[in-house]
Amino acid sequence: MKLGFRIWFLIIVLFLASLAMAPWKSFDSGVVIKSVELNSSAFEQGLRQGQIIKSIDGKEVKNLDDFSIILEEKNYSQEKIKTIFLTSDGEILLFSDKKPEITVALLPKSNLKTGLDLSGGSRALVGAKDKELSSTEISELVDIISNRFNVYGIADVVVLPISDLRGNNFVLIEIAGATPKDLKDLVSQQGKFEAKIGNETAFIGGEKDISSVCRNDATCSGIDGCFQNEGGGYYCNFRFSVYLSQAAAERHAEITKDIPVNTSAQGSYLSQKLDLYLDDNLVDSLLISEGLKGRVTTQISISGSDSGTTQQEAFKAAESSMHNLQTILITGSLPYQLEIIKLDTLSPSLGKEFTKNILLLGLIVFIVISLILFFKYRKIKITLSVILTMFSEAFITLGIAALIGWNLDAPSIAGIIAGMGTGVNDQIVIIDEAVSNKKISLKERIKRALFIILGAFFTIVAAMLPLFWAGAGMLKGFALTTIISVSVGILITRPAFAEIIRRIEE
Amino acid sequence: MEPENKEAKKEENIQDNKEKKESHQIHAEKSEKTEATAKEDHKKKETLEPRENRKFNFNYDKHYKKLLIIPIVLLVISLVYIGIFYSKNNDIFHKDVSLSGGTSITIQGDISQESIEPQLKQKFSDVSFTKLSDLTTGKQIALIVESSASPEDLKSEVESAIGYSLTDENSTIEFTGSLLGQGFYKQLILALLLAFIFMSIVIFVLFRTFIPSIAVIFAAFADIVMPLAFIDLLGIRISAAGIAAFLMLIGYSVDTDILLTSRALKSHEDPINTRIFRSFKTGSFMTLTALAAVLPALLLITGLPNSFRQIFLILAIGLVADLINTWLTNASIIKWYCTKKGIK
Repeated sequence: MKLGFRIWFLIIVLFLASLAMAPWKSFDSGVVIKSVELNSSAFEQGLRQGQIIKSIDGKEVKNLDDFSIILEEKNYSQEKIKTIFLTSDGEILLFSDKKPEITVALLPKSNLKTGLDLSGGSRALVGAKDKELSSTEISELVDIISNRFNVYGIADVVVLPISDLRGNNFVLIEIAGATPKDLKDLVSQQGKFEAKIGNETAFIGGEKDISSVCRNDATCSGIDGCFQNEGGGYYCNFRFSVYLSQAAAERHAEITKDIPVNTSAQGSYLSQKLDLYLDDNLVDSLLISEGLKGRVTTQISISGSDSGTTQQEAFKAAESSMHNLQTILITGSLPYQLEIIKLDTLSPSLGKEFTKNILLLGLIVFIVISLILFFKYRKIKITLSVILTMFSEAFITLGIAALIGWNLDAPSIAGIIAGMGTGVNDQIVIIDEAVSNKKISLKERIKRALFIILGAFFTIVAAMLPLFWAGAGMLKGFALTTIISVSVGILITRPAFAEIIRRIEE
Repeated sequence: MEPENKEAKKEENIQDNKEKKESHQIHAEKSEKTEATAKEDHKKKETLEPRENRKFNFNYDKHYKKLLIIPIVLLVISLVYIGIFYSKNNDIFHKDVSLSGGTSITIQGDISQESIEPQLKQKFSDVSFTKLSDLTTGKQIALIVESSASPEDLKSEVESAIGYSLTDENSTIEFTGSLLGQGFYKQLILALLLAFIFMSIVIFVLFRTFIPSIAVIFAAFADIVMPLAFIDLLGIRISAAGIAAFLMLIGYSVDTDILLTSRALKSHEDPINTRIFRSFKTGSFMTLTALAAVLPALLLITGLPNSFRQIFLILAIGLVADLINTWLTNASIIKWYCTKKGIK
């Protein structure tokens, strides 16, 4: 039998969905690095987040147990010992008297990601205390919070701006895996920013010292120019202004007045640098130009550069360095207090239990519906095609979720199961229209069935749409998977199913 | 199929005794119909349908308006109950901590509720408990404690009651600020309203006639009100996911109404009663399979996340309400409309 275009289309989409989910990943073994402590020897030797560790000292690492057993046996103590990591980026040698400062996780089994309620972790919704944040303020806040997590070396963090139906803005923070105890402190405390010269604090974060940092204003912040290196690459210079309070400016002058000047090919700078500390971690050091020595000035200019292989790349790199530096400077100088309005910490083992039960439920639903259909139609061909379509819809929906990197939480999966229900409903309409009412042509009957199906499709989409915004989008997943699964139904599986039924009928 | 047949027969007999004239009509109609469809009969089994229809026709023509009374009475009772509920609780349903603000702690393991309840009740008067158990073994896997208290207070009290400290590994703690909870609540109710309006627009665009569209919208309205009254009666606390389920119910329940209305208005090959009855056969089977998708979740409910429980419970109650509202409310109105407009 020749397959029609619609059936071929379904087959191709199914194939693409399986590609998107990449189920063959379940055959991969190894652990993936989740985080590397900043400035640790592990970091210096090139271990990075996202690398896959395949073996340590030639011993294969298949799972988390292997990883901890191998390192445990190594007995790190006073003496520096050698550890050889075979990673996805090649071999990395480590000489250390301490256990490598990294955290690892099992390799994901596929591209499907589960939500926090199923994988465990913590989630906070943060807003400003007694203040409504504008969308610019919220995107700044997202930068600031992400920055602080970066400084702490906490990986696998999602920081997202969220707004709800009433136009309130929040920041959603999600940390997968085990919960870092300090999430709450980290968020609710204002970041501590200090700029030190030597051991003396020149200025600290907060309006008292830094009155403002120029950003998004071309007159006092931007890329100065891009140049070609002798070696071939490019570099771009950036510059932006920081406005200090009078007190901070005087303090700065007082500290710098006795520091000697070093003159080199790059220019004349003070011999001591301005060190920027975020929550007591050194995040950047800036050269102080000779002109600033002992001078009381409330407007200082910070400049720097970054490079890249092409001019465009260098430009982008410089822009992001500048942005980063600006964020650091304003961190801790937020003009409002943060407030955690929702905080959930979800147990990973309970999540596992839930996942197991949900999978079991999915299977039961599948079997029950199949049995009901078989008892109703008593025709193996029709029953099979309904089941196949139902399966295809769930499968393609999962494929799309994997493709867009959607985290499947419990409501999302509820949406898929409910979607299976509507999917079957539509097919029942097609079958009943097709096999009964023979007074009109088959084409007309299918057309009528499609009218009903389209109507049902539009009403369900219309009903789910408000959920994208309501309740800060916390139930977006439910709406999204439902809409995806009914859309998959309308666009891909239903036409194919109608074609199959037409062939069975003919 | 069997019970339906018998019932139809029984009804016919009763009618036969009481109203002789009408029963003659049926016989006449019956013979006419069987001739018309006889040619196709041996090809497919589906010919069973028209025969049943004719038995159904008779009663239906006579009583369809009376059938409308059942859902209207149910709807009025539901509305009155919700009204009383509102006057008592100052709200149309009990909200859980995700909507009212508060803390929910899920303690893993076989913790007995009885052993910790007195101590917690003493400190937090509004504390409530839910047990979770494994689907395959039936063993309790966790106990959920909910209260409007702050996470710190509730956590330390639970820790003192169970005698060990709660960590990220052995517990799940969810906290929603009361302002946020109230905000969520208002928004989700607004979302529900919007969903309803959007659905109504779609229905009007689809059918472009006033009464049939209103009939569908009215049925959808009853589909929300009846389950809500039932949920109130059961004393269930609704979460954010629960309201989302009501939204879905709007979309989920109107497909049978669309099926009914489009068959009643758009095809004219069979008599109206046959069309309605054929829709009933298709539609009730649709709702049945939809129920098959949500009912297993109810049986296994103790092992699923709260959001899941809420969604499936509300969908299940809603689908049952939908059976009543589509086939008694909407079908009667559409039949009435067709009779008035002379659509046969």
